[in-house]
Amino acid sequence: MAQYVVDWILLGCFYAAIGLGFSLIWGIMNIVNLAQGSLVILGAYVAYWSYTLLHLNPFLGILVAMVVVFCIGYAIQYVIINRVIRAPILVTFMLTFGLDLLISNVLQAVFTGGYRAINTPYSGAAVNVLGAHIPLLNVAVAAIAVALTALLSLFLSRTRLGNAILAVGMDREASQLMGIGIANTYALTFGIGAALAGAAGGMLAMTLQFSPIFTGQYTLFAFVIVALGGLGTPWAALAGGMIFAFAEVFGPLLPGVGFGLDTAIAFAVLVLVLILRPNGLLGKPFYS
Amino acid sequence: MSLSVRSCSSLASHLRSQWRTVAQNAVHMVRGSRRNWRAPLPIVAMLVLILPAALAACGGSGGASSGSDTLVFGAPVSLTGSLSHEGTDTLNGYQLWAEQVNAAGGIKVGDKTYKVKIKYYDDASSAQKSAQLTKQLITSDKVNFMLGPYGSAATLTDEVIAQQYQIPMVEGNGAAQAIFKKNNPYIFGVLSPSPEYAGAMIKAALALPNPPKTIAIINANDSFSTEVADAAKTLAASSGMDVVYSQSYPANATDLSGVLTQIKTSASGGAPDMIVGSGHEGEALTTLKQAKQLGIDPKLWAFTVGPALPDFATTLGGDANFVIGSSQWTPQVKYQGEDLFGTAAKYEQLYKAKYNAEPSYQAAESTACGLAFQSALQKAGSTDPQKVRDALKGLDITTFFGPIKFSASGENDTKPMVTIQIQSGQVVTVYPSNVANATFQYPTPPFGQR
Repeated sequence: MAQYVVDWILLGCFYAAIGLGFSLIWGIMNIVNLAQGSLVILGAYVAYWSYTLLHLNPFLGILVAMVVVFCIGYAIQYVIINRVIRAPILVTFMLTFGLDLLISNVLQAVFTGGYRAINTPYSGAAVNVLGAHIPLLNVAVAAIAVALTALLSLFLSRTRLGNAILAVGMDREASQLMGIGIANTYALTFGIGAALAGAAGGMLAMTLQFSPIFTGQYTLFAFVIVALGGLGTPWAALAGGMIFAFAEVFGPLLPGVGFGLDTAIAFAVLVLVLILRPNGLLGKPFYS
Repeated sequence: MSLSVRSCSSLASHLRSQWRTVAQNAVHMVRGSRRNWRAPLPIVAMLVLILPAALAACGGSGGASSGSDTLVFGAPVSLTGSLSHEGTDTLNGYQLWAEQVNAAGGIKVGDKTYKVKIKYYDDASSAQKSAQLTKQLITSDKVNFMLGPYGSAATLTDEVIAQQYQIPMVEGNGAAQAIFKKNNPYIFGVLSPSPEYAGAMIKAALALPNPPKTIAIINANDSFSTEVADAAKTLAASSGMDVVYSQSYPANATDLSGVLTQIKTSASGGAPDMIVGSGHEGEALTTLKQAKQLGIDPKLWAFTVGPALPDFATTLGGDANFVIGSSQWTPQVKYQGEDLFGTAAKYEQLYKAKYNAEPSYQAAESTACGLAFQSALQKAGSTDPQKVRDALKGLDITTFFGPIKFSASGENDTKPMVTIQIQSGQVVTVYPSNVANATFQYPTPPFGQR
């Protein structure tokens, strides 16, 4: 049983990393970013190349992925999405959908659809506690995910820039009147959201494997995780990741269920949460 | 608002698949046109429009009889979409056969010699489209015979059309047994049937000096993977192995830690001796990655799909070593064929010369489809579809690909599959011993020591 608890916590933290950037972009700008999965895979490629070509430590590779994908995200928002930011949600929806197609197909055309992964020398390191096998690499990745959540939360509440982002999320016109540059703040928000996706990609490259074929799947994960946790605070993404992983790990253990249904169980939990708490588990209404 | 977003999400995923197909078609057309077209497009278009009219004006009684000394073989193949990689290899195999037949002068049928031609269309990896194209090839292109598409799904839909028009179809890329359970007298498969996919690996393991005693079998829940896993369970149990765990998981799963955690506790000694995965490459990679994280070390890892593919070993690095897989064919097999190619080595050489790449088993089995038709045509001494079908039924030949002899249902069930192993990052053949080019390495050392 202890092993399942370990599986759950590690998976939950990784899922949180996937949902974190998506939650920020949706919460502040009301953009359902369907290109999130593509940004995750893009981050995975950056981390992969910085490991194989530049021989950087893979954890440093996560940082490189964050910086590179931040710049791409900033440019996407500043040059493209800002043009339609006042349009109804369906427009940004279709735009990010198109971006997703573009990014994933370009990646496929350039790098083929084949799989890649970072194989670190320490990927087999583990400790045994109470009969559970705890892989240290995954623990490090989970710790980074929690740290990123905490940092984002501090950034939003304690810094001028973070406050500006929150203010724009609350009331665009009022914050504009207070002297906040909207275009720049939006681009910054999308950039940070993208950087977090890039970080998740770096984690993915280190712990599993990646291919441009799977961009849609990670967008879907991000969506479910954020819907489960709710918008409004970075900690909600962590909660969402934890619930999603809980349903996936423990659902199949129920008598008569089995693994064929684990994703179905996770979605059933989503429906239940949305019925009982329409704003998600930790969601606050102020963002929307 | 959240409700409308969710319904949009399903619409979006539908649109996405359609858009992708359209986009990929466009890319392929542009690429294809650059490579193949020499004459400027308008001139070609004019020729296409004018030629049939000119021919008709000449008063020929049969407009289509101009190609009467050429046999046309129709083939719907996946050149775009998710199966484009395998589909391209399929087409390469067909075209290499056609080129070699024509270089050797053609096929002698009775007292007449025919050249051959492959007429193909891209089915965009869609089984429905593949069936439409089969119909088009038979009814409007009037092909003489049909070669199969790539994959079990498309073969299942296409064979129905072939039967409807009573045109024999020889396929080399659909292994599901369902294809041969339809009582269709017009379908023939040159590849080993699905039970061999895991069966070959279990037989290889049992032939070891100190064979594995306990086995766990996991599979993706699509029909082909399930069929393979069920056959593996039956074979393992009847061969005296102890099946300690079997479990299906959703196809394309990105997390298998739950399944693996159960495997870890299924046998008393920590992990079973052998773990068999029947699924797809991504799941095989996830299984090995997560098994390493969870510290699961069986004596033998076996996957039906994955190890034979080039990115398997590069993705896993050293952890891929010692993993075994099954393959319809490898360039190492040692059959002495009576066909055009004769040996696998000769086939490899010709394939490399034409495509500048190693032949995959998808290419080899596709070439074998052509060889089956070639023998059957010579034997029948006629190009009549019914007579060729009867000749296919009685075929018993050996080719560079292996023996071809069809059962009553159309399966080539006497051909064994080979077991491959990754050794120092290279794919080698380890079983059956008479075709092996390396020794089976067993048992597998723990992760980190390979």
